[in-house]
Amino acid sequence: MTKKLKRTMAALAAAAVTAAGLTACAGPSGGTGAEDDVAPAGTDAEASIIWYGWTPGPPATDNYIKAFNEMYPNIKVEWKQVDIDGYNAAVRPAIASDSSPDVYQMSAGSANGGAVIFGDSALDLTNDVKNLLGDDWRSKFSAVAIDTMTVNDRLVALAAGMVYAGNLWINQDIFDKYGLTAPTTLDEWKTVCATLESNGVGCFVQGVAQGAFDIDTLHAIAEQVEPGWFDKALTGQAKWTDEQWVQTLELWKRLFDEGIMQDGAAGLMQYPEVNNAFLAQEYAMVMMGTWYTMYVQPETMKQAMEAAGVADPVPFTITPIMLPDLVGKGNTGHLFADPDYANGVSAKSKNVAAAKAFTLWYSARPEGQQAIADSLNLLPVLSGVTPNWDNIELVNPEVQESAVKDLFEVAESSTSQRFGGISADMNDALVVTAQSVATGQATPQQAAETLQSTADSL
Amino acid sequence: MAIRTGSRRARGRNQAPGLPWILPAMALVVGLIYYAIGDTFYISTLDWNGVSPFAEEVGAGNFAKMFADPVFWQSLTHTAVFFVCTFALQTLIGFTFAAILHTEVKLRTVHKVIVFLPTVLAPATMAPTFRLLFSDAGMLNDILRGIGLDKLAHPWLADPNTALPTIMLITVWQWTGMTFILYYASMSQIDSDILEAARLDGAGNFRVLSAIVWPSCRGTTTVMAILGFIGALKTFDVPWLVTVGGPNHATEFLGTYIYRQGIRNSHVGYAAAISLALLVLAVAGAILMTLNNRRQAK
Repeated sequence: MTKKLKRTMAALAAAAVTAAGLTACAGPSGGTGAEDDVAPAGTDAEASIIWYGWTPGPPATDNYIKAFNEMYPNIKVEWKQVDIDGYNAAVRPAIASDSSPDVYQMSAGSANGGAVIFGDSALDLTNDVKNLLGDDWRSKFSAVAIDTMTVNDRLVALAAGMVYAGNLWINQDIFDKYGLTAPTTLDEWKTVCATLESNGVGCFVQGVAQGAFDIDTLHAIAEQVEPGWFDKALTGQAKWTDEQWVQTLELWKRLFDEGIMQDGAAGLMQYPEVNNAFLAQEYAMVMMGTWYTMYVQPETMKQAMEAAGVADPVPFTITPIMLPDLVGKGNTGHLFADPDYANGVSAKSKNVAAAKAFTLWYSARPEGQQAIADSLNLLPVLSGVTPNWDNIELVNPEVQESAVKDLFEVAESSTSQRFGGISADMNDALVVTAQSVATGQATPQQAAETLQSTADSL
Repeated sequence: MAIRTGSRRARGRNQAPGLPWILPAMALVVGLIYYAIGDTFYISTLDWNGVSPFAEEVGAGNFAKMFADPVFWQSLTHTAVFFVCTFALQTLIGFTFAAILHTEVKLRTVHKVIVFLPTVLAPATMAPTFRLLFSDAGMLNDILRGIGLDKLAHPWLADPNTALPTIMLITVWQWTGMTFILYYASMSQIDSDILEAARLDGAGNFRVLSAIVWPSCRGTTTVMAILGFIGALKTFDVPWLVTVGGPNHATEFLGTYIYRQGIRNSHVGYAAAISLALLVLAVAGAILMTLNNRRQAK
């Protein structure tokens, strides 16, 4: 072999080694991991697990871990929070690596961390839940919570709790200050807005640039036009060009044209901008779902106001109201639900027993679900668990306790999914529809036709 | 006395062979960049969500989908408009600043720092400021209203007609400092005798700039054009952080669309196909501009 040939071979070998090393990190690859038993409660065995997610963050996550450690004192849980918009990008390499988080959050449908996509890298928890709750374990959970987290007959994650959307929140203190009552019709809403704006207070605020919330509002309007029609359209039983959807889009457009939506809504993000503006009391009404219930607690509200840039925050009274009747048919009070997030155990976890113990405690044990319920961030998924109102401090108990109970009652009767039935592509198409109508780039009829043609191509 | 350089044979004996010296760099380039390109090409033939162990072979299906996708063409159009506008503005402003600061202007160093400063600021840190600045209740509208130009006040980022120009304005603000510094350095290389000769021949400022300085900076302009073109193709951070590509895809670029499809929608194969289109455009554009510059230089 000549020197030149040897050198060439050496170069090729080096390149091949480098390429082979990289091959191991890229492309589709399988892996299921070991399926250990769940660590028994009170075990002395020490373990440390990493819990990866985007919500709810401290102080709620600290409180949950503290409550978990009362049952499992020797399992250390480390919470790692990722920004909601960057979650998909961050979790994808994380769960593919050998230093995968032990527990990671997923959600339903097209939301970030969708179980359909990320569930492949999680262990099936069916047998663990069955061992804990018995053969009738399914009946002990909210049906949507289990259905949305079951992928290819595998229970890839356990929902922590449910969130419901379709309602609004008002700053009750501002309403009281100007002698206003919550609007129930479009005309009343316009009157309320006129009064607020004449007093230098913003009326209603929504971040149309963050599409998920556009879909919430459109869904809520569609439920008023014809209850259940939106779900039919999503499943192909109705056409997006139907008059129900065109009317929905016309009403959506009226919110912009008739001064309900704040100017420049299409450029605003729901988080952080709209959330911050409402918490800074710049606006009196906001489109947010049941997750906002946590702000009826003074400490949580105070921390959120500080995070929103409010100096010396004084918690104020927020109360939930239903979307005012825009159609005039009286079809109000429809909410739609998804698990806000669910915890899955990574197939690459090196602490499977501890990770399963944490995941099951969170969703399938009354102790965990009680902590969830009492945080008021989510509604529990485990049947029979309700907030312990005696232990929950409210900013304004006289007004808020009954209002929140009423909201939860409406929520629990809901059967419609929020994003569970919406694929990522359909999500994009709905957002384009919402934004093109909002900005006047398309008429409701044109936008409906475009949406139907997109739906046909998916 | 002429200096003889050694024959090829003599050089071969006295100098170490080149391959071992370039081997580490070559392995890195081949291993990382060319391997990644090859892998991206392979992934572009798959219908794959980026996580699943299962992927479906679709051949050229992702490319067919790309050519039929109106948002892809919209992104491409935005990229072209963005490149032409930002390159023209940055060149005009950067060249003008460089020429002015080559004169006896006071506080030259301070001016240079002010012009260059935006270049070193991370877009991620500036994005919230720009969102505030250009929002309906933002400072720009406050100023316009304050000076009686209420009619010009506008939700700049919320209107699809003004969102893209606003993104271009932010980019010009950020990168003109770099153009300026390169032109400034390029102008420093011009032989002062030529400039003096032109003055003696009666050339005015504009004549000197257009007939001597500008042609002398052609190499810099070409480099800026190539970098600007590739930069436009890769544009991601400003439109994503300021407008998330919206409203209604009004500020969608190839970079943001690749991210949207690959990361948000988990169409990793489709995103890989768009990435390859971006690569082909970048290489083709760079070659064309270089060839054009050589032709003009001749």
